[in-house]
Amino acid sequence: MYMFKYVLKRIGLMVMTFSIIFVVCFVLIKLLPVDTTSVGVGEDATKLLTQLKARGYDRPIMEQFGLYLRRIVLDGDFGVGVSMPEYRGQNVWDVFIEKLPPTILINIYSSLFAVPLGIALGIFAALKKNKWQDHVISTAVMVFISVPSFVYASLLLYTVCFKFDLLPLKMASLAEANNNYFSWTMFKSMIPAVLAMSFGSIAGYARGTRAELTEVLTSEFMLLARTKGLTKSMATIRHALRNAMVPIFPSIVGEFIGVLSGSLVIEKIFTIPGVGGLYLTAINSMDYDFYMMLSGFYLLVSLVAALVIDLSYGFIDPRIRMGAR
Amino acid sequence: MKNLVIRVLAVMLVALMCVGLFACGGNNGPANGTTAGTTTGTQNPNQDPTVEEDFTGHKDPKFYTYNTYTSLSPSNWNELTYQDNNDTQIMSYIAGSFFSYDFKYDEYGEIVPGEFVMQYGAATKLEDVTDAYREAWELPEEGKGYAYKITIREDMKWDDGTAIDANDFVYTMKEQLDPLFQHYRADSFYAGSVNLVNAQNYVKQGQEGWFAADGPYAVYTAEELDSKIVFTLAPAGPLSVGEDTVDAEASFRAAMGFPASYDAAKTAAYLIANYLGGSAFTAEAAAAMEGKTMAEIKADATLKAAWDALIGWWQTDPDEELDFFVTYYTFPEVDFDEVGIFVGDNNYEIVIVLSQPLDLLKDDGSLSYKAAYNLSSLPLVHKAKWEACKVAPAEGATLWTSTYCTNALNTASWGPYKLESFQSGMQYVLVRNENWYGYNMDEYKGQYQTDRIVCDTVKEWNSAWLMFQKGEIDGIGIDVTIADDYKTSDRAYFTPDDFVGSLQLQSDATQLEARQSEGVNKLLLTYQDFRKALSLSINRADYTAKCTTSSLAGFGLFNSMHYYDVENGGVYRNTDEGKKVLCEIYGVDYTQYEDLDAAVAAITGYDLDQARELLTKAYNEALAAGDIKEGDKVLLTFGTGAINESVQRHFEYIKTAWQTMAVGTPLEGKIDLELKDFAAAWANDFRAGAYDVCMGGWTGAAWDPGYFLLAYLDEGYRYAAAWDTTKVMMTFTMKGVGENGADITETMSLMDWYGCLNGYSDAKYDWSSAALEESQRLQLIAALEKEVLKVYYAVPTYNSFGASLISFKVDYVTYEYNTFMGYGGFRYMTFNYDDEGWIAAVQEAGGTLNYK
Repeated sequence: MYMFKYVLKRIGLMVMTFSIIFVVCFVLIKLLPVDTTSVGVGEDATKLLTQLKARGYDRPIMEQFGLYLRRIVLDGDFGVGVSMPEYRGQNVWDVFIEKLPPTILINIYSSLFAVPLGIALGIFAALKKNKWQDHVISTAVMVFISVPSFVYASLLLYTVCFKFDLLPLKMASLAEANNNYFSWTMFKSMIPAVLAMSFGSIAGYARGTRAELTEVLTSEFMLLARTKGLTKSMATIRHALRNAMVPIFPSIVGEFIGVLSGSLVIEKIFTIPGVGGLYLTAINSMDYDFYMMLSGFYLLVSLVAALVIDLSYGFIDPRIRMGAR
Repeated sequence: MKNLVIRVLAVMLVALMCVGLFACGGNNGPANGTTAGTTTGTQNPNQDPTVEEDFTGHKDPKFYTYNTYTSLSPSNWNELTYQDNNDTQIMSYIAGSFFSYDFKYDEYGEIVPGEFVMQYGAATKLEDVTDAYREAWELPEEGKGYAYKITIREDMKWDDGTAIDANDFVYTMKEQLDPLFQHYRADSFYAGSVNLVNAQNYVKQGQEGWFAADGPYAVYTAEELDSKIVFTLAPAGPLSVGEDTVDAEASFRAAMGFPASYDAAKTAAYLIANYLGGSAFTAEAAAAMEGKTMAEIKADATLKAAWDALIGWWQTDPDEELDFFVTYYTFPEVDFDEVGIFVGDNNYEIVIVLSQPLDLLKDDGSLSYKAAYNLSSLPLVHKAKWEACKVAPAEGATLWTSTYCTNALNTASWGPYKLESFQSGMQYVLVRNENWYGYNMDEYKGQYQTDRIVCDTVKEWNSAWLMFQKGEIDGIGIDVTIADDYKTSDRAYFTPDDFVGSLQLQSDATQLEARQSEGVNKLLLTYQDFRKALSLSINRADYTAKCTTSSLAGFGLFNSMHYYDVENGGVYRNTDEGKKVLCEIYGVDYTQYEDLDAAVAAITGYDLDQARELLTKAYNEALAAGDIKEGDKVLLTFGTGAINESVQRHFEYIKTAWQTMAVGTPLEGKIDLELKDFAAAWANDFRAGAYDVCMGGWTGAAWDPGYFLLAYLDEGYRYAAAWDTTKVMMTFTMKGVGENGADITETMSLMDWYGCLNGYSDAKYDWSSAALEESQRLQLIAALEKEVLKVYYAVPTYNSFGASLISFKVDYVTYEYNTFMGYGGFRYMTFNYDDEGWIAAVQEAGGTLNYK
C-alpha cells in the first residue's frame, strides 16, 4: 500500500514537472526571433513571413499553445517540419518513428553485448583481485573509459571496416536489406557501431561490478555464508552478486531506457539514419514542431526512467521500501 | 615488487592488444590493376541477355550503376516548394526540360572547348507571339519578348505511363500560384526573371497589410502614390510608425544588407557617417521623416531637402524612390484566367504572357542561350498524385501543404530517371525511366549509359573517402587534408567557378587615423605605394598551393568564367583587352614577348624587390608628411566573419609575406597583423572602417562582366567605401563608337563611365549591350577594371577552383570544364566497368584502390 501511494505520488509529481517544463519550452522557443528575411536574389522578401502567418505563428503564444495541445490530443498531430533542411514538409512524428528503429537496435545490441560482458569481466576481475588477470582487465578498463567513443569509432572504421575489410563501412539501407531491420545484412552492417558504442559501457560495468563485488566479497556475511557450508561459487552467486548488483542494476535499467536516444557522433561516423542529432538540429534550426515533439518525448522518457530506476531498487534489494515511514 | 612486475606486464599486454586491434597494415597499392578505359562487362540478371544494345544504351545487357553520396539527405524535391540545392539533387534526374545546352562539336566530332549549342527537348518549337496578344493582355505598344508560345512533344508521359500535355503545365501553374498554399517557389513567377502577368496578384489576392512599396508597385508615380507610401529606415517586425504597426521593411535595407539590430536611428547614423555627411540628410531630419508619407515629406521644406539628398545619393535607376517606403496594400481578387499562362490552339501548345520581356530567341528565330537559362522548363506535377498529397491546414492555421515528392511512392518522374526507393538520412535510388521522351530522340542517341544511380547519405567526409577508396562511391571532392597527395592524380579534375578571392584594404583615412594609438600606425595604408607593395609581396602561386585545395593564382577582377559574349563563347579574360590590363598592372611589358599569352603567362604578381622599394618610398613620404613617426609600428587588423582553420591558414600566410617584405626596409620588424572576428557584420563593419584588411570577393553576373563591375564601383557594394567613384575621374577614348566609327574621348567619373557602359537613363552615352557590339564594350570594361586594380584597394589573389576525384569505373566525356555543360554529366558519362566487372576489378586490386 505504501508502495502504491508512493508510485501515485511520483506519477503526480511527474505530470506536474512535465507540464511546467513543456510550457516553458514552448514559450521560450516561441520567444526567439525567427529570421524571415533571408531569401535569395529574385525572391519575394515577404514570403517567409506570409507562410509563418498562415501557419498561425502570429497568434498570441498561449493561444498557439492551446491549439498545439488540441491538435496533439484530438488528432495526434505533432506538426510538420519547416526549417530543418532534411525534414521540410515532413510529419515530425513520422520522421521520428522512422528514425527510431536504427537507434534503438544499435543501442539494444550494444547493451546486450556490453552488460553481460562488462559484468562478467568485473566479476572475474573481482574474483582474481590483485592477480595479473585483474590488472589486465583494470588497465584495459582504464584505457577504454578514458578514450571517447568517437575515437574507437574512427579506429574501428579504419581498421576493421577499411583496412581488413571485415565489416561494411556504413549501415545498410532498408533497400539493401530487403526492408528488414532484422536481416543478417542489416545486423552485420550495424556491428561496427555496436562495438564502438559497447567499449565504454563494457569498461564501465566491469569497473563498477569489480568495485562492488570486491567490497561485498570481503563482507562479514560472506564469511558467515562460507562457514555455514556454502562453496565459494555458491556464496558468490547467491549472496555477493545480489548485493553487488544493487547499485549496478539501476544503471542497466537506465541503459535500456537510454536506447531511445541516439549518439550524434557514432551515427554520423557509421552513417546511421537514427535520431542522434535530431534534437540539436531542431534547436539550431528553430523548427518549432520538431523541437516541441522531441522535448516532450525525451522529457517524458527521462521522468519515467527516473521513476523506474527508483522503483527498481526495491525489487533488487528487499530492504529498500519506497514511501515507507 | 611482484605486484609491480605484474602491473607492468598487464599494461604491456593491454598495449599489445590495442596495437593488434588497431594496427594499420601497409598499403597494398593495388589500384594500378584497374585501368580506365577497359570495359569488363557481365550480364545483368534483371535483363534479358538476348536483347541487343540500342542507341540509347538502356537496353545494353550489362548493368551500370553510379554510386554517389550526399552529406545532407534531400527532403522535398517538389518543383513547387523546393528550397535549396539539397532538394534539387533528385529534381534534376526526374524532370525534363524544354530547352537545353549541348556541347558544340567540330567537323572531326571533337568537342569545341567553351562553346555550346542550343537544343530543343520537351519542347519542339518556341515562338514569340507578343503581337498576337499585345492588345488582349494590354502589353506595351512596342517591344518583343512579352508572350511566347511553347509547343511541346506529343509523346511525353509520366513514369507510370500517364500522358502529359499542355493542360498539365497550366494546371500545375495554377497549383503553383494557389494562394491557399503560398508555395515557396511561387515567387519564381513574379519576382524572378519569368514574371507572368498577374501572377503576384493571384498569389497574394486578398492579402492586406504592410509591404515594401516596390512589392505591389513597380512604378513610382507621384500623383498616385505620394499619399500611400510611408518612409521608414527601420527593420522588419512590429514597430510604431505614427499610430500604425508596421511589420514590413523598405527594400533599401535588404539591398544594403542591414541586420535587424540596425534600427532607424542607427541606420540613419550609418548613412550619414559613410555617405551623406554634411548634406541636408541629418539625424534629426531622418527621425522626422520616419513614418511620414511622401506627400508629407514633400510638403516640409527641411524634410524635402533631406529626401532630395538621400535619393540623390541612392538613385541610379527609375522608380528607386520606392526603395525607402512601405505601404499598406490590399491585393485585388484575381481569377486564374487573368494570369499569363494558358493552353494555346491545341493541347500541345502553352502560351505564357510576361510582365517583363525576355529575349529567348535570337533575331533569326533560333533559340538564344537565355531560353535554357531562364526557361529550361515550367513546373509540372502528376495531377492524381498531387491531389492525393494535399494536406488541409491544421486548426488555427490557414496554410495548405503537400507531401508530394517527399518519398518514392508520392514521386512522379518525366525525366530520364525515376525514384525507386528513398530512405531519409540513408539512401535514395534512381533507375531509368523507360517512359522518358528523350530515349526516343536522336539527340540522345548513345547517351545515358547509367542504368541506376545510388546516392548514400554520408555525413562525414572521412567516411566517404574510405568508401571511395573501396570503390563504393564513384566521385568525391578533394579535401585540403589530402590535396597534396591527390591533386596530381590522373583521376583528379578541377572545376572553376566565377569567384575571385581578393584581399580588401581599408580606404577610409578618417577611420584609420581614429584607430591609431601611440606608436601604432595605420595611416600608411592610405598610401597607394604601400598597398601596391602589399600586393607584390604575395607569391600567389605559393599562396594558393598552401592555403587552398586547388585554386589558382588570380590577378584580375575577372577569371575564365566571365563571359562577355555568351552566344559566341567569348571569355573576357581571353581577350586582348583583358590580357593587356593584367600586363600593365603587374608591370609586364607585353611588347617584349612573343604574344600576349606569353606575356600573361609571365605574370606572377610577386616582386619582393619592387615591394621593398615601394614600401620604403611610401614610408619616407609618410614620414615627411607627418603621417607616421620614426619607430612607429604598423599594426593592421585582419577581420573575418569566423575564425576557423582555413581563415587562420590564410592569415598566417599573409602575415608572414608582409613581414618578410619589410626585411631590409625601415619597417623591418615593425609590420604586424592581428586577426579579429567580426561575425556576421564583418562586411558592413569593414565598409564602415572598423578594421583594415579582409578577404572578400564576388560571385554572380558571370555572363555580364560590364554589369559585374558594379561590385567594385558602386558604393552599395564595394568594400572600398571611402573611395568615391563618383569623383574619381578617368579620361578615356572609346574607339569606333561615334558617328561613322569615330572615336569619342571623354573625361568622366568612374560611375559615369559605368553608367554609359550599362545604358543608364541619365548617362551621356548608351554603350549597353543592347546598343553596342560586345567586342566594342570590351575596351571600356578593361579600362574600368584597370582603374579598380591600380588603386590596390582590392588585391586579387586567387581564382577559385573545386577539386574532385572520379573513380576508375566511370569517365566524363571531357575533363575540360564547359560553363554550359559542365563535364557532360550523366548524359555523356561512360562506364569502364559494369557492376560485376567493377566488383571483380576492386577485388583484384586487393579491395582498396589507389588514386594517387
